[in-house]
Amino acid sequence: MRPLRHLGRRSILHPPPHPPLTIPLTSSRPFSESAAANPSNKTQIYVSRSHDPLTNLSLEHRLLQTSHPDSIVLLLYTNRPCVVVGRNQNPWLEVNQARLGPQSHIQLVRRRSGGGTVFHDEGNVNFSVICPPKAFHRDTHAEMVVRALAALGEGRARVNERHDIVVDRDEGKTFKVSGSAYKLTRLRSLHHGTCLLRSPGLARISGLLRAPGEAFIKAQGVDSVRSPVANVGVEPAAFVDAVVAEFRSMYGGQAVEVDGFGEEVLEFEKVREGYEEMRERAWVYGQTPRFVLSTEATEDDNRERPAVPFESKLYIEAKRGIVNKLTLNGTSLDSPSIVGASIWEISDWATRLRDAGAGVDDVKEVGAWLDGVLATQP
Amino acid sequence: MATLFTRQAVASASRTARCWRPAAVKVAPVSRALPISQRMSFSQSVQRLEKRFTETHEWIDVASDGKTCTIGITKHAAEALGDIVYVELPEVGDDVGSGDSFGSVESVKSASDIVSPIDGSVVAVNDPVAETPADLGKDPEGEQWLIKVEAADLAPVNELMDLEAYTKFAEEDH
Repeated sequence: MRPLRHLGRRSILHPPPHPPLTIPLTSSRPFSESAAANPSNKTQIYVSRSHDPLTNLSLEHRLLQTSHPDSIVLLLYTNRPCVVVGRNQNPWLEVNQARLGPQSHIQLVRRRSGGGTVFHDEGNVNFSVICPPKAFHRDTHAEMVVRALAALGEGRARVNERHDIVVDRDEGKTFKVSGSAYKLTRLRSLHHGTCLLRSPGLARISGLLRAPGEAFIKAQGVDSVRSPVANVGVEPAAFVDAVVAEFRSMYGGQAVEVDGFGEEVLEFEKVREGYEEMRERAWVYGQTPRFVLSTEATEDDNRERPAVPFESKLYIEAKRGIVNKLTLNGTSLDSPSIVGASIWEISDWATRLRDAGAGVDDVKEVGAWLDGVLATQP
Repeated sequence: MATLFTRQAVASASRTARCWRPAAVKVAPVSRALPISQRMSFSQSVQRLEKRFTETHEWIDVASDGKTCTIGITKHAAEALGDIVYVELPEVGDDVGSGDSFGSVESVKSASDIVSPIDGSVVAVNDPVAETPADLGKDPEGEQWLIKVEAADLAPVNELMDLEAYTKFAEEDH
C-alpha cells in the first residue's frame, strides 16, 4: 500500500478548491439541457465544479434523462465527504449514523442506482458514463478507467469479477480502489463508479460503514460486500485528464466539453426538482425495503443476537421506513404513535413507547436503545 | 443449452401462428385453425387477447374481462438480468402511466426500471415476488407476474409486438 502523502495535512471540513483542469478544452461553455439533447452532440464530456453530492447526482440523473438517446456522455465529479447508499439498501443496516451529520460534516445520501454503500470525499473522483442500452456492458468503462490509471503509472489495476477496480499490491494483497453501480432506463444505461485517489478519510470508512443495528436487522434489498480499500495515489486533476483522454480515444469526435459549472445547474428546474427529491428524508429513509428488527432469533434470521441493555423481547417490522408492527414480549403496541409512524420522524422513542402504553422500564431502556439503533439524520 | 432450446421452441410456435393470422388484424381472437394443443391451453378464456411484448422487455396479457391486464418481465429479460436481489413494486391503487416506470428490479448492482405499456390503476400486486426476488427468474411469464392493472384504454396494447416479433427482437437485442 502506498503511503498517503496528504493524510492529515488538509482539513476535511474545508476541502480545497478543485484543481484547475489542464486539458485543452475544445469548447468551454455553461451546462445546457438543449445541447445535451442535441443529436449532433454524439460525444459529451462534462467536468463538474460542484462538490455537493446532491447537485452532482441530480445533474447526472438529468443527463441520463435528457441526453440524446444515441449520445455517449462522460461526467466527472468530486463530492465533499458523504456516505452514499444504493437505491435498495437499508441505512440502519449499512451506516453508523452516529458518525454522520452536521458535526462530522459527512452527509448521508441515497443514490438512484443499484449496488452497495460507498464513501466519497475530496480525494475521490467519480466517473459516470451514460450510453445507449445496446452499447452497455458492465466492464467497458471500468476498463477505460483501468487504462487511464495505467497511463498514470498504476499498471496493476484491473477489473474484478464484481466489476470493481482493484489493485494488486505487494505480498499478494489486493485492494479495491473503485466501486461500480448501474442504472438502466428505457432509453439509456448509466454506469458510475468511484475512484479513491488521495482520500484522507480511508481510515474512517470501516467505522462509518458499521451500523449498531446490524446484528438485529434482517432486510430485503441489497447488502454491501465489504472490501479492503486503498488509494491509488495519483492527483485527482491528473486522473480527470487521463479519463477524458481515454474516453476521447474510444469515442473520438468533437466532444462538447462543459467546464466551470457548479451550483448554478440548480437553476434548471428539473435538476433542482431531482435535487429536492433526493434531499427529502422520505427518499433517504422512506425508500428502505421491508425489514425486521428483532432482539431474538427469528425463523427468517436465526443469528444469535448480542446482549441488549433491557429484559424485554423487542420485534419491529417496517416497510418503506414506516413501522408496520412493534411487539414487546409478544404484545403488540397498536398505537398510532408507533404503527404507521415514519421512523425518520421519531426523534424520541421513549415518548412514543410511553404514548403507546409500554411499561416504565421499557419506555426508558428500549427507548434509549432504539434512539441509537434506528437513528436518523435531521 | 436449455436456453437455446427454449428459444427455438418459441420461434417455431410463432411460425405456426403466422400461418393463420390475417396480416391486417393485429389482435386476433383465438382461431379454430389453432393446433389442438394451443386451443386447449386457451379453452378457459376464448375472448382473451394475445399476449404482447414491449421493446423494454415487459409482457402484457389482457384478461377476458377486456380491461384487467397482467404485466411482467419477459424470460429474455430475466435471463439477461441475472441474479435478481430486489423487486420494487407499486401498491394497489397506485396509477401507472404508459412509458413510465412503475417499479424496478435490482441485479448485479443495476437498478433497472420496469416500464408500463399502458395507463391504468394497479388492482393487484404479486407480493410473493417481492418477498423472494430470486424466484422471479423461474417463471417470469407465468406465476411470477408482477402487477395487474385495470386499463381504461387498451388501444396501445395493439401497437406492441406479438410473440413472433418479440422473439426476433430479443434475439437481435444482444
